[in-house]
Amino acid sequence: MKAYFARHIQVFLATLGDLIRHPGASFLTIAMIGVTLALPAGLYVGLLNLKQLSHSWDRGGALSVYLHRGASGQAAVAAMRRLPGVQSVRYISPRQGLREFEQQSGFGRTLTALHENPLPGVVVIRTPSSPQALTALVAALRTEAGVAHVQSNLAWLERLDAALALGHRLVMILGALLGFALILILGNTTRVAVVNRATEIDVIRLVGGTDAFIRRPFLYTGALLGGLGGVCALILLELSLLLLHDPVHNLAHLYASKYSLTGIGGGDALKLVVIGTILGWIGARWAVGRQLRQSVQ
Amino acid sequence: MIELNHIFKRYPGGNEALSDVSFAVDKGELVFLTGHSGAGKSTLLKLISLMERPTRGQILVNGHNLGRLSPRRVPYFRREIGVVFQDNKLLNDRTVFDNVALPLVVAGITGDEVRKRVQAALDKVGLLARARGYPLTLSGGEQQRVGIARAITHRPVLLIADEPTGNLDAAMSDEIIDLFKDFNDHGVTVLIATHETRHIERLQKRVIALGRGHMVAST
Ligand SMILES: Nc1ncnc2c1ncn2[C@@H]1O[C@H](COP(=O)(O)OP(=O)(O)OP(=O)(O)O)[C@@H](O)[C@H]1O
Ligand SMILES: [Mg+2]
Repeated sequence: MKAYFARHIQVFLATLGDLIRHPGASFLTIAMIGVTLALPAGLYVGLLNLKQLSHSWDRGGALSVYLHRGASGQAAVAAMRRLPGVQSVRYISPRQGLREFEQQSGFGRTLTALHENPLPGVVVIRTPSSPQALTALVAALRTEAGVAHVQSNLAWLERLDAALALGHRLVMILGALLGFALILILGNTTRVAVVNRATEIDVIRLVGGTDAFIRRPFLYTGALLGGLGGVCALILLELSLLLLHDPVHNLAHLYASKYSLTGIGGGDALKLVVIGTILGWIGARWAVGRQLRQSVQ
Repeated sequence: MIELNHIFKRYPGGNEALSDVSFAVDKGELVFLTGHSGAGKSTLLKLISLMERPTRGQILVNGHNLGRLSPRRVPYFRREIGVVFQDNKLLNDRTVFDNVALPLVVAGITGDEVRKRVQAALDKVGLLARARGYPLTLSGGEQQRVGIARAITHRPVLLIADEPTGNLDAAMSDEIIDLFKDFNDHGVTVLIATHETRHIERLQKRVIALGRGHMVAST
């Protein structure tokens, strides 16, 4: 068993040595794999950032209830407090509403030109954002006296979530396709390597080398190239994030937000390298197996 | 050790290289295989070392029926025999030492044992000083001797040699044949294909002669 591991380590070191001695062709392959992996990984990181952004939104303050003109704000608030699922209630009287609107919109003068306050009273209800509870609450509110209209502020967030879920699925599909591409890239590299070493393989077979013995260095090369491709993808990703940092920072500043991009986490980075390694191994295994079956023993 | 029963071999090209060849070599024998160029000597040795398969007939080597040997078992069968190839089949990008070590490395032998056995084999063929050299820096005869060293490092029970003295002068040629005789004296069964009648006369061993793919004599 010890000898078995010693042999594997020996082959691994020999593979690494080969790679260091002939870096040219390997570098191209690694770069190709890096780009292939960086694309879905980059989209994935982008998606994570969007998700984080959507979660940072205040999900409370979910419902705006517009009252009929002349309906009593006090009575409405008192009634709504008693409904199940209501966390807190805030009443904005028509006058208050007008003031806030003037301040925030800069339409102050236009509105003072109106003879009469056009705004209804509004009750803003905070509620824990479970979709079922929300629908029930909306239905209950509609039957309250004095209620003209109930608007859920969560609708667009739900739409965003749905879009993000779609994006997530698309990234998965793209990732699977590009993972397949990676297998093909390494399969082809391995095939060329096997063909180049046909005489050596013949001789190894003639002196009693098993197919497993012949395969081993090619598998290590494939796995190593795949893993290094993963590292290359990480470098590309970090460089892209570095380039995006300042523009995003400026944009966030304009929105008075402290938002900044998050990079790929340690766990995901490790996953990327491991995926590269595994796909590299699979590509090499597939190609070398095919080649060895084609050449007669 | 070797038994051929009504062996026929036709290459895809069409001409019959061997037709109805039958003979047996006992354990511990040294046998010469002779015949003119193109008689089928190499073909016969390739069938015995499983580099080719017969079109018809049965071959038994060291207790294995080669026709029934599964592909998985073939490498292990090859470790039981040693083959000196007519064209040497050395790896030019590996040192002499690494070439000779190859049968040991593929069999999973490591470390000191490899060094000891390779040095012993190279010493036998008189090339210990060239261990670190590369095959292409050696003369034709020296390359042939590296091929012989590689065929014996793993201590096979059967040694098959295809024209092992093809590129050697008379003195070296005799030395190599004496080396084979020495292995034979230590219990290794040896089968040598050669057209040099000198060795056959000198050693007074059994001879199997081929002519145009047919057995013409077996002493
Ligand atoms: N791979 C092959 N494909 C087709 N025909 C072949 C092949 N190998 C050998 N032959 C033919 O088989 C016959 C026997 O060849 P073989 O190499 O066994 O002869 P040999 O006795 O070893 O000759 P030599 O002394 O020149 O080495 C020859 O006619 C040769 O042309
Ligand atoms: Mg021949």
